[in-house]
Amino acid sequence: MSDNGKEKEQITLTIDGQSVTVDKGTTVLEAAGQIGIHIPTFCWHPKLDSIGACRMCLVAVEKFPKPAVACATEVMPDMIVKTNTDDIVKARRGVLEFLLLNHPLDCPTCDKGGECDLQDNVFHFGIDKSRQTFTRHRVIDEDTHTTFDDKRIGPEVIRNMNRCVTCYKCVRFNKEIAGEYDLGAYERGNHTVIDAPPGEQIDNFYSGNVVEICPVGALTNTDWRYKVRNWVAKKADSVCSHDADGQNITLWYDQRQLWRTTSRRNDAVDEGWLCNIARYGYQYINSPDRLKQPLIKKEGKQVPASWDEAIDLIARRFKEIKEKKGSVCLAGLLGGNQSVETAYLFNKFFRNKLKTNNLDYRLEYIDLKGSDENESYNCLYRAQFKIADLEKADVVLVFASNFIKDHPSVNLRLRKAYRKFGTQVYTVNPVETKSADISIDEMVYAPDMETAFVAGMIHAIIDNKLYKNIDAAKASEIKSKLTPESLAEAARMCGIEENRFVALAKKLAEAKYPFILAGDYLMASTKRHRTANGLYNIANLLGIPDTNAAILASQANSLGADRVGVRPNLSPNLTKTLEEKWGEAVPESAGSNTSQIFKNILDEEIDAVFVLGANPAMRYPDGPFVNSALDKLDFLVVADLFETATSLKADVVLPLAGWSEQSGAFVNLEGRYQRFDKALPSGPGIKTGIDIINAIADAMELPLGLNTAELTKEAKDIVDGFVRIPRDVNKFFEVRQAQIPEHQEYPYRLMIGNDLHHFGYVTEHCPSLMRFTPEPYLEISPNLAERLGIENDTLVRVESTTGKLVLKAKLSEHFEGEVLFIPNNFAATEVNSLISREGGGWVKIEKLDDK
Amino acid sequence: MAQELVFFKYIDDPNQHKIDTYIEHGGYQAIQKVLKDFKPPDVIAKVKESGVRGRGGAGFPAGLKWSFVPQNTGKPIYLACNGDESEPGTCKDRVIMENDPHMLIEGIMICCYAINAHHAFIYIRGEFAFPAARVEGAVNEAYAKGYLGKNIFNSGFDLDVVVHTGGGAYICGEETALLSSLEGSRGNSRIRPPFPAVSGLYKCPTVINNVETLSSLPSIFNNGIEWYRSHGTEKSPGTKIFSLSGNVNKPGNYEVDLGTPLSYVINELGGGMQDGHKLKAIIPGGSSTPLLMPDQIDTPLDYESMAAAGSMLGSGAIIVIDERCCMVWALMKLINFYAHESCGRCTPCREGTAWLKQLINRIENGEGQQGDIELILDACDNIIGRTICPLGDAAVMPTRSFIKHFRDEFEYHIEHKTCKVKTDYPFV
Amino acid sequence: MILKESTIKEIKTRMVRYPSRRSAILPALTAAYRQVGHLNNAVYKEISRVIEIPYVEIAEAATFYTMFPKHEVGKYLIQVCHNISCSLRGADNMLLYLQEKLGIKMGETTPDNLFTLISVECLGGCSAAPMMQINQDYYEDLTREKIDNILADLRAKADEEGK
Repeated sequence: MSDNGKEKEQITLTIDGQSVTVDKGTTVLEAAGQIGIHIPTFCWHPKLDSIGACRMCLVAVEKFPKPAVACATEVMPDMIVKTNTDDIVKARRGVLEFLLLNHPLDCPTCDKGGECDLQDNVFHFGIDKSRQTFTRHRVIDEDTHTTFDDKRIGPEVIRNMNRCVTCYKCVRFNKEIAGEYDLGAYERGNHTVIDAPPGEQIDNFYSGNVVEICPVGALTNTDWRYKVRNWVAKKADSVCSHDADGQNITLWYDQRQLWRTTSRRNDAVDEGWLCNIARYGYQYINSPDRLKQPLIKKEGKQVPASWDEAIDLIARRFKEIKEKKGSVCLAGLLGGNQSVETAYLFNKFFRNKLKTNNLDYRLEYIDLKGSDENESYNCLYRAQFKIADLEKADVVLVFASNFIKDHPSVNLRLRKAYRKFGTQVYTVNPVETKSADISIDEMVYAPDMETAFVAGMIHAIIDNKLYKNIDAAKASEIKSKLTPESLAEAARMCGIEENRFVALAKKLAEAKYPFILAGDYLMASTKRHRTANGLYNIANLLGIPDTNAAILASQANSLGADRVGVRPNLSPNLTKTLEEKWGEAVPESAGSNTSQIFKNILDEEIDAVFVLGANPAMRYPDGPFVNSALDKLDFLVVADLFETATSLKADVVLPLAGWSEQSGAFVNLEGRYQRFDKALPSGPGIKTGIDIINAIADAMELPLGLNTAELTKEAKDIVDGFVRIPRDVNKFFEVRQAQIPEHQEYPYRLMIGNDLHHFGYVTEHCPSLMRFTPEPYLEISPNLAERLGIENDTLVRVESTTGKLVLKAKLSEHFEGEVLFIPNNFAATEVNSLISREGGGWVKIEKLDDK
Repeated sequence: MAQELVFFKYIDDPNQHKIDTYIEHGGYQAIQKVLKDFKPPDVIAKVKESGVRGRGGAGFPAGLKWSFVPQNTGKPIYLACNGDESEPGTCKDRVIMENDPHMLIEGIMICCYAINAHHAFIYIRGEFAFPAARVEGAVNEAYAKGYLGKNIFNSGFDLDVVVHTGGGAYICGEETALLSSLEGSRGNSRIRPPFPAVSGLYKCPTVINNVETLSSLPSIFNNGIEWYRSHGTEKSPGTKIFSLSGNVNKPGNYEVDLGTPLSYVINELGGGMQDGHKLKAIIPGGSSTPLLMPDQIDTPLDYESMAAAGSMLGSGAIIVIDERCCMVWALMKLINFYAHESCGRCTPCREGTAWLKQLINRIENGEGQQGDIELILDACDNIIGRTICPLGDAAVMPTRSFIKHFRDEFEYHIEHKTCKVKTDYPFV
Repeated sequence: MILKESTIKEIKTRMVRYPSRRSAILPALTAAYRQVGHLNNAVYKEISRVIEIPYVEIAEAATFYTMFPKHEVGKYLIQVCHNISCSLRGADNMLLYLQEKLGIKMGETTPDNLFTLISVECLGGCSAAPMMQINQDYYEDLTREKIDNILADLRAKADEEGK
């Protein structure tokens, strides 16, 4: 465990005549950095274990027999360090000369030019003549044909071995940080080469980092190379617009387009590592397929229109419906990756101006009964979990979350905790996941048995008297409100042995600082509130700190939208805040959540819906239901960047600006408010969500009355003023596993969700991500595939009660059981047509003869 | 071995590798005595007192090394026995492993008991298939007799010994690289601190000792400190095996007291210069040690005297060079080796040894350029003392020494594009 | 499958002697090399499955070590030490003699696939120089006559085994 809280011992030393006092354990390099003394390096990285290999950071330490590497030498009391003696300068020049011996000196055509450590160090140390008189050693692989000996070693990564300084940072990142094994160093001595494993490629989810940390131009990527010089590009501070982790990024752009993303290291969040979606997921902004002008449906066909025409039409229809049928007939659906400001304005527009509570940002499964306001669920969803706290964890249970997919930064932090601090990890999921390699036990429960699993855990806790703060009577009362009724029954239903429940329960009970983190499988479950009840109970029974039991939000601004009230029901505190700001009461009418909105459309109780930056027709996991609702709707307005399944049904389509085309803020899964700056503005025919909402409000003569600064401030005030009701440690809920629909003819449970390299419905417009996963597939376990005679790329028909699809099979690297997966990121494949409330996601599959 | 043998008295007995013969010759007595009469710290004290020094090359006092191992860390403690004998000229450990493997095993047992290790690994270079098979056979015999495994000699002490063979990499004889290799990684050396004694194999406290060092332990406990110290010198007590090779009449492995004059080994044991040729230079301690010149032939073979003479005792590999040898050619042989064996981790060694190889080969091939000697020496300055492990230094030391003593041959080569001395050792 | 059951069994027997599976990489490479005669990517893949260590780690380690040939060689791999101690005893001329005797150049294999000749760094036979290693075995204090006999013996042995 890291010893947080404890005062660290201080050590004073002298570097180049300056005295500096630092924590014990600090390296000389870091200590020098603290007083502005730069020590050059190649192989050092603040987040990697030092290997002291490049020898560039040699310093002279008094009483040491020879120079020491600053990157790996810990400070000692009264140490006297010199970083700039003649001997040290000679040593560094020596290193540079060695590195340049076989370097191609191809700076003019190297993409690293201008941000290359080798260039900078040679520049600094002023070596201007070469003593190399031999032909430079040149690495030419069988498959390198270009003038510059480039070799593509992955969908994005291109290697030029001649430029490599053999710092091993790429290989070290891959193994140490990401736990990935698709890059290696082969041969030895000065024949050492860096490459993907023979016959394979580097395509791991964090592989973009190896390009960013390469100190020279040895590793570059398709995304950026040969496009723009880095010193010409402008930079904007930004935040990833996809998942909820909130990775901090820098966007590079010029007057034409965005060019790349690099990390803007934030140790609280990402520690400087980006997943490929954060890195390449900006590209949709550049897409030529962007909507560029409004469309209006005329005689069943969407035709181009002017903004005035479109806005006037929307204002007129909204007004008509509001006046003739009432405010409750209007509804708004907001995407989870719109800015806090957009979300707040959306809320104000619907609640304060249109006078309806029918609005939501949660487009996953929401119970029709309004269980979105389930107390346990919301309490855990809004837990003040902090990513960096994982470093203090002794035991972590990852529940119902494929962590690498759902939470790239939290996943890396967990791996770090495991590697550096010995954190013990347990994973419990409906399928095997990548996290297995760091898990003490990876449990896989039968599909839809989330609630049974948590009920089983509660049985295990109570049966073994592991609970805290309650008496036996209370314990048996809690036990009496569980379905299944015993651990044995839970174990049978989940397909997990009883002793594994007990072992996990004991580990969590003994832990000093345990965590339970749940994710997207829970969120996608129709019965998520029942499972949340169970998690709430477990946290209370074991005395898990309030911050440490959490259901993690899934989209870039899910929590921001939640904080500013884009949901039908508001907490009393938020109601009060909003009423103070608006100077009038929020509407009293009952609001509808996403599912209720669709139901109300079918019941002809809602006539007009405004969808901003969302695509429920494709993403809502009950295709038949959502599509019949949207088809039935009187008036649908969709603002988005692209033509989508939802926009195709719209009466008015408005081209929407992307996140990088405006400034704003997202609130990440920790509740962290993070601002992003505007990079390149959008094209002339495109407007921001804020401008669109304001334009409609103005046209309806219901002005929202907030300029940019006021809007930013009000939205931030509300986020900052968020008050969460802490978990009530004396409260326990009933936990009842729901019946699973009959599905005899449909033996396999189909899970849908994001592909590892896709997120939501816009990443199809990111060419780099398409290089990793170009098309949808049916992921199937090798066992099941073998039984059914299915191989990679075999065409398979997947059929449910509501639909059928034909897809290529992909044998899973992780799945072992009878669960199937299809990504729902590809517009042309309507995966949600297979899933329905009644059918429950059960399918049958059939191998088609022709490949 | 023809001379008087002390530790390795029975090494020429064709059956000595068998456990029964070893026992017949007094084997496995020392360990029984140690287990019965000594507490682990007393063993360390005794070994310290004996003054036995590491025979791998550095000559570090073995007892002191053991005393650095922290006890009660909650982690297991390991012993790694270094049998990765690969320094050109050196072939002494091989003799022990082939002919007297039980002496090594008994030494390992004593060491493990002293440092409280229950798991020892014998890392043997991969090419030594036969010695490795002998050691593994001996380990199996010892297990069969109950000398290894649980509760050895009813002492309550448990020990497992594993024979591990390498894959052809000189660097794995360097202790941190040996650990990397034993862990299954590439044999890259690693930075110290942490020192292996604190964080070595699998990040646990680890002692690494050479085969010869460990093999000398049973005799020390059988015969006593006084007896041990009666051999060798005050600071370099005991005997040592020297591998004599090159241009002598009787190359071979010879055990002599430390402090014995080099001339005795070459002239008496080695039968003098091959076919009466003239001594030109001596590499006294393995290929990485600086040369001794003919006038230094009486230098005593101990750590201090060799250092005073400007060289090192090293691994005890004495390579004798006669007047037929071109020193550029000889250095080329050495530098090619170091360039081939550089692990590639740190820049100066990885790039520097390769460059030295290019430069020296160019001179040897008659393509040397004016300034090459200075360039070589300057590159040496940029390698030595700049690397993680001593491989870089090992390449530089002979290079500097060869040029220092035979600069004229290098200059002749550059000027005349050919050897001053035409090397052509016959093969008959 | 390239690896035989017996090889896999040996690898697994050795693996359990270490506190970490990873340590079985070198023993596995050694066992595979002795069975197959050389190593390649397919072998690394199989080892990876047997000891459950990522393929890349096997390939990284294997290519670091030079003792294992990475492509097919003759039935007998002749490795001649060309380092200092052997060179002082005529290793260079011995190499010429071997090339002449076998009718091949360094690095080549005889047309009958029997012998591959390479030179290597010090094998630790310095006091018995010149020397060479053929497959696992050392041959020391070599002379022309000894080499003639060794090659003849190996040829005879190969003939007997029907190659």
